[in-house]
Amino acid sequence: MNTTMLNAIAEPNRLRIVELLRESPSPVGEIATKLKLRQPQVSKHLRLLSEAGLVRAYPNAQQRIYYLQAEPFKELDRWLETFRKVWKDRLDNLNDYMKELKEEEKLNKKGAGQ
Amino acid sequence: MTENPHVIKQDLVVIRIIDAPVEMVWKAWTDPKHVMRWWGPKDYTSPSAKIDLREGGKFVFSMLAPKEQGGFEHFTAGVYKKVVPLEFLEFTQGLSDKDGNPIDPASVGMPPDFPAEIRTTIEFRPKAKGEMTELVITEYDWTMGQMAVYSYAGLQQSIDKLSESLKK
Repeated sequence: MNTTMLNAIAEPNRLRIVELLRESPSPVGEIATKLKLRQPQVSKHLRLLSEAGLVRAYPNAQQRIYYLQAEPFKELDRWLETFRKVWKDRLDNLNDYMKELKEEEKLNKKGAGQ
Repeated sequence: MTENPHVIKQDLVVIRIIDAPVEMVWKAWTDPKHVMRWWGPKDYTSPSAKIDLREGGKFVFSMLAPKEQGGFEHFTAGVYKKVVPLEFLEFTQGLSDKDGNPIDPASVGMPPDFPAEIRTTIEFRPKAKGEMTELVITEYDWTMGQMAVYSYAGLQQSIDKLSESLKK
């Protein structure tokens, strides 16, 4: 997992920017107004986010409209999947044990019925 | 402005159908003799489990690594916060010594933001006319350091399984 990306979204204001861009692509001014941040600050954050490959921009009249890139977030999701795996293995064990126990109980019942 | 690289927190939710009725699955989680039969990662055993099943009561589960993986014994302990029989469990869980005293994660080489305890809930839902159970497990407020450790653990297990399959 790429730490540039994690560092980029680990900063609270950048995370808020990412969440805002998830709603809709936006120009820097709009982001600054909505998040009550200064525009140069937002520009700095956007630069870091785009260096990390998380956002891109396209020109529209005099503005640049920023939007999210899907691929790094898919990567993040794949990475998160590895944590779910710890539980998956544990629950595989539980499921196997439950099957075993059901078999045991069946045998016991048979034994008792004879 | 200070930048805190550990600010991201995320809840981890795992949903899984277990092929047994709720009564059995509940016992598997709350009766020490059953816990010892399945707790721990693949190839681990669980030589001991202590459970005081009431709100405020403690549990200590042991897991023993297979000899090929060092044969170390680890303990997980926590306190039950909510117990609704056959329906819901809420507890904390963290690393501990054999008596269930918490161990500072940093003292055993975990990242500084690795939480001392993780709040966990488990919902038990009957499925398939009571023949099966859906478990919804939520671990709250995962930190980045924790994620890094578990992702490494996950990776290590995949590597183990891979090398196992190559041996065949």
